Amino acid sequence: MSRSNSPLENGVEENAPPSLESEIQEERIAARRLRIAARVQARKRETEEQNDTHHPVVTKELSRSQKQREQSRRRLNKLQSDGTELVTNIQVAVDARESQRRTEEAEAKRQRTEKLENEAKTSLEKFEDIRKKWASAKAKEIPQDLSDALNMQQRHCAQLIEEKNKIINELQQELKVQDDRYVKDLKRQAEDVDLMIERMEEQIKNLMKCYREELTQIEKAFELERRELLHSNYKKWEQTMEHRREKEMEYLTMRMKQVEDQAQQLQQLRVQDAEEYNMIKIKLETDVQILEQQLQHMKATFQLNQEKLEYNFQVLKKRDEENTITKSQQKRRITRLQDVLNNLRIKLQKQEKQFKEESHSLSEDCKRIMKQYQDMQKKMMYFASIDAKRFHEMWIMNEEEIKGLVKKALDANLIIHEQQLGMTYVRPNLPFMRSTGPIIPQHTKKKLTEELAKQFLTAGQKITGDEEGVEESMSAGAQGESHQSREQGQLEATYPENADNLLPQISPKTMKKLLEIMCDECDFLVESKLLKLFSTLEKHEQSLMKLDSIFMALGVENEADVYKLADFLIKYREQQIAENKREDEEDGKINKAKSQSHVSICSEEAAEGSLSMSERSTTTDLIHPNDVLKALKAYTEHYCKPRDKHPLPSFINYEERNDSEDAAFWEAMANVIPESTQRVWSALETELEKYYKILTERSDLITETEGLKQQNTELRMLLHQYINSRVNAELEIPPTQVMQIDQR
Amino acid sequence: MLATLPSPPSRLYFLPLLLYPEKPETTGTMGASTASLLSLYFMSSSFYFKMSPSFLLVNSQKETYKRKMRRIIAEDPDWSLAIVPYLRIICLQHIIDNFERNPIVDELPPTDKVKVLEKLSTKLPISVTANLISDEGYWRRCSVERWGRRDVSYYGNSWRRMFLECHLESAIELFIPNTTDPNVILDMVPFYKNYVKKISVSQLLPPVKSSENRQKEDTLLAVGDGASEELSVGHFDFGMLLDKMTELEELHLVYGVRGCRMNFEWSLFEFTDQDCHSLAKALKSCKHLKVFRLHQSKVNDENVQTLCSIFLEHPSLRELDFSHNIIGDRGARAIGKLMSNSKLEVLSLYDNKIKGHGAQAIAYALSRNENLTTLNLRLNRIGDEGGQCVANALLKNSTLINLHLGSNELTEPTANFLSRVLMQNKSLKSINISCNRLGPDGGKQLQEGMAHNSSLVEFDLRLTEVGQESEYFISQILQRNKETAHRTPL
Repeated sequence: MSRSNSPLENGVEENAPPSLESEIQEERIAARRLRIAARVQARKRETEEQNDTHHPVVTKELSRSQKQREQSRRRLNKLQSDGTELVTNIQVAVDARESQRRTEEAEAKRQRTEKLENEAKTSLEKFEDIRKKWASAKAKEIPQDLSDALNMQQRHCAQLIEEKNKIINELQQELKVQDDRYVKDLKRQAEDVDLMIERMEEQIKNLMKCYREELTQIEKAFELERRELLHSNYKKWEQTMEHRREKEMEYLTMRMKQVEDQAQQLQQLRVQDAEEYNMIKIKLETDVQILEQQLQHMKATFQLNQEKLEYNFQVLKKRDEENTITKSQQKRRITRLQDVLNNLRIKLQKQEKQFKEESHSLSEDCKRIMKQYQDMQKKMMYFASIDAKRFHEMWIMNEEEIKGLVKKALDANLIIHEQQLGMTYVRPNLPFMRSTGPIIPQHTKKKLTEELAKQFLTAGQKITGDEEGVEESMSAGAQGESHQSREQGQLEATYPENADNLLPQISPKTMKKLLEIMCDECDFLVESKLLKLFSTLEKHEQSLMKLDSIFMALGVENEADVYKLADFLIKYREQQIAENKREDEEDGKINKAKSQSHVSICSEEAAEGSLSMSERSTTTDLIHPNDVLKALKAYTEHYCKPRDKHPLPSFINYEERNDSEDAAFWEAMANVIPESTQRVWSALETELEKYYKILTERSDLITETEGLKQQNTELRMLLHQYINSRVNAELEIPPTQVMQIDQR
Repeated sequence: MLATLPSPPSRLYFLPLLLYPEKPETTGTMGASTASLLSLYFMSSSFYFKMSPSFLLVNSQKETYKRKMRRIIAEDPDWSLAIVPYLRIICLQHIIDNFERNPIVDELPPTDKVKVLEKLSTKLPISVTANLISDEGYWRRCSVERWGRRDVSYYGNSWRRMFLECHLESAIELFIPNTTDPNVILDMVPFYKNYVKKISVSQLLPPVKSSENRQKEDTLLAVGDGASEELSVGHFDFGMLLDKMTELEELHLVYGVRGCRMNFEWSLFEFTDQDCHSLAKALKSCKHLKVFRLHQSKVNDENVQTLCSIFLEHPSLRELDFSHNIIGDRGARAIGKLMSNSKLEVLSLYDNKIKGHGAQAIAYALSRNENLTTLNLRLNRIGDEGGQCVANALLKNSTLINLHLGSNELTEPTANFLSRVLMQNKSLKSINISCNRLGPDGGKQLQEGMAHNSSLVEFDLRLTEVGQESEYFISQILQRNKETAHRTPL
């Protein structure tokens, strides 16, 4: 274990030791493993130490058996190696022999080849000699010599062949030797193999024997060890048993002693208890006697009380009976009253229901009637408009008709004057001829805010601030406003005065400034869409349009309102200043002043109305732009409510329209031709009638003469016809001739 | 007994017959009796109803009842419960008897399966059993019966694999080119294919001349008698086998005849070029091969070159063994090239003719190699020249564990270099330089080297004449190293 761990530890120690706080997971795991391994090792060491301390004998014995094992292993190893050496010795010897043989064979081979080469050389020389001698033999002519030479040659050849044969024989001999050697080798090899097998077997036997011996020895060693171990353990066991027995005996004696002591104690306790018991018994008995006496006494009192109570009981019973009777009576009454109450309740419910229904129906009716009323109103409105329209149409029709008549009359008057009377005629001035539609009384018509604003703005652009300019602009405004109804100037005579009253003292310049401020500050009142649309317009027009929409939003409809507004704004400013002053004086009363401010505006207005116009326009720097909104808010709070109450639908104008001027209008129409002229006309008529009579007579005469003339012509035609007819020719005397004769 | 016999079994017995009167036959070749018995079997097994012998007795008893007109037979001395076996057992026996024609194993419930497998004949053809039976018990019986006891751990603890591999090996070993029909082996390939991982052939017979046709296979020893020198036809062509054995991992070959004894003939041990080319082609197709051994086959330099050129592109080869051949320096150079270009872990060139130059080539490859763990150059002729080169290479190499340089004509200079290797190299655990004349001086140098070594466990110095003192000292150090090596793994 320790060995297997050590490389790991070493490997770790080479690197930095892994810490548990490391961020890498593997390192943490490694660290934990290390810790565990260290713990295990420590524990193991402890146990080992314990073992060492407790059983030193055992470890020694173990080492003994190990020693035995080691010893036998060594012996066996030695035996084995010796045996293998013994066996392989043969192989090695054979190898050595083989290598020896090879070297020898190589040597022999070398010698043999050398020998053969030498022999070949010598034999070649000899052969050369023989061949040379053939030539000399050929030269010899004497048969004797020749035969000698031949014999010599033969001998030489035989010698050569013999040598060769000798070598061959030698080689064959060698071959045989080698064959023999092969056989010998085979035999030897067989022997070697046999020897080897023998040795092997022997070794196997030896080894087996040794192994067995060693085994038995090891077994013996182990057995001995075991026996010793057993013996020692048994001894220990005996010892501990003895120890135990002794202790047991000790405990037993101790226990017996204790038992005796306790028995004595018990006896003592019993005696004591008995004495105590007797004492208590006597005491209690005396107590019992006293208590019995008391009991008797109590019983007597009890009887007395019982009698008293019985009497009381009787009395109470009687009372109870009476009570029950009254109770029943009361109950009956209660039931009766309950019935009444129920009836009343039912009635109440019925009535409530009835009233509810009634109220419901009534409210329904009311609704219906309201609806009807509304319908009626609508109808009325509708009819009123229709009537107005019809009235308008009628008016126009009549007017046209009457205008035609007036024209006719005037034309006739003109003709009469110029043609008949030969007088120059001046056409009278007739203003009403130009107007169409019903007359609208001018004092109700009001100046439009837009126009007013325009006027102010334009005026503001032109004027430089002097008083004359103001007046001019005023008159210009009056002109611009009245250009619609110049003819009705008289009727409108009241208007400028009114206007003057309403817009009293505010100069156009201040007005213009006010309007500009409003235009700048109250953009929010204008619809965003409109603003977009305005952006394309010129600045002047743009501000105009803006003002228009702002006024619309504020509910300012007419000129008077505009002035009112302007006035209010200016006053507001002054008031503000005053307030500021007051604030400076008394800081604590701000709230009160503020609350009062709204209430007192009207009165202040009245009071400060006397302030001169010029003073305002010059001195005050008008309202501060930031205060405009507040001022406007105050304004709307004051003025818008009454305005809301003011119901002014457009058609009401027609209703209110007064017909006071109608009669005059129509009268004027009727009196186009004056009385004097009428009289002239009647005189003229009579004269003209006379003239007409004469003329009719003359015309009759003219027609008579005409008829006569025609007769004449006819007669002439007839005559001519007769004369020119053929009958005349046939006649002896033609009438023509007659006629000519006649003529002649 | 008759009176207490319950009646329901008879009803149960006829019910399945009614339900399965026309059970479809599983195979066409199955006999009628088999079919009926099988259907009976399935019925009984599907209903988990055991045909009790007493029930069968009812029928026989009925006959006697008819015959003798007796209601109750109190006693019948002929009765024996052992006479009639269970129907289930009869069915199983029938399955066993007809297993060759109609093998049924997997359809059976486990208990019956065990029974069938226990009693199956070991003589059944492999074509039936190879893919069908996976039970190791059966294959164990087969193997023990056919091949005797062998260590099953060599065969991945699989008896089936062992049986099939041995079967294939014997077929190849007894194959005579031009005489035996190759289909004898090739027809069985589909059954070997999935299980055979190792082929260990200890002999390959040369083709036989027509004159020797009369001779039988068991008298192989005489095969070589009077065989002509030229062998136009090679040995068994592995090309037709190996490309079909997709699971093959090990291949051990000996191109020679086993146990020829006094009938030795050179032609028996001929590894022709044709053999070499056909083998190379075959190895090329065998992609999973890990171990290749070619022993005692007179493999010469050209053959090694061709084989190594194949192995250069082989993806999985780990162990190469060319022991007992006649490989020279050129072959060693080819092997050195292979070492530096492949992932070889074990290389054995034991008993060849490699001299100094070849050893140089191997040492060069070794100095750059990072895979090789075992190198065996025993019984070569590398001499001091080669020994020094190998020792220098070991200074750079750090993967080699076992080194065998026994019987290599090494002398004192090599010992000098080796002592430096011993000082520096930490990976070597076993060195064998036996049968080299290092002499006492060499021994002293080795002693010096060993004094600084702590990893070497085995150091064979037999027959090196290093002197007793050095040998003792070295053995002491080896002992110490062994002890430390023994302790550290614990």
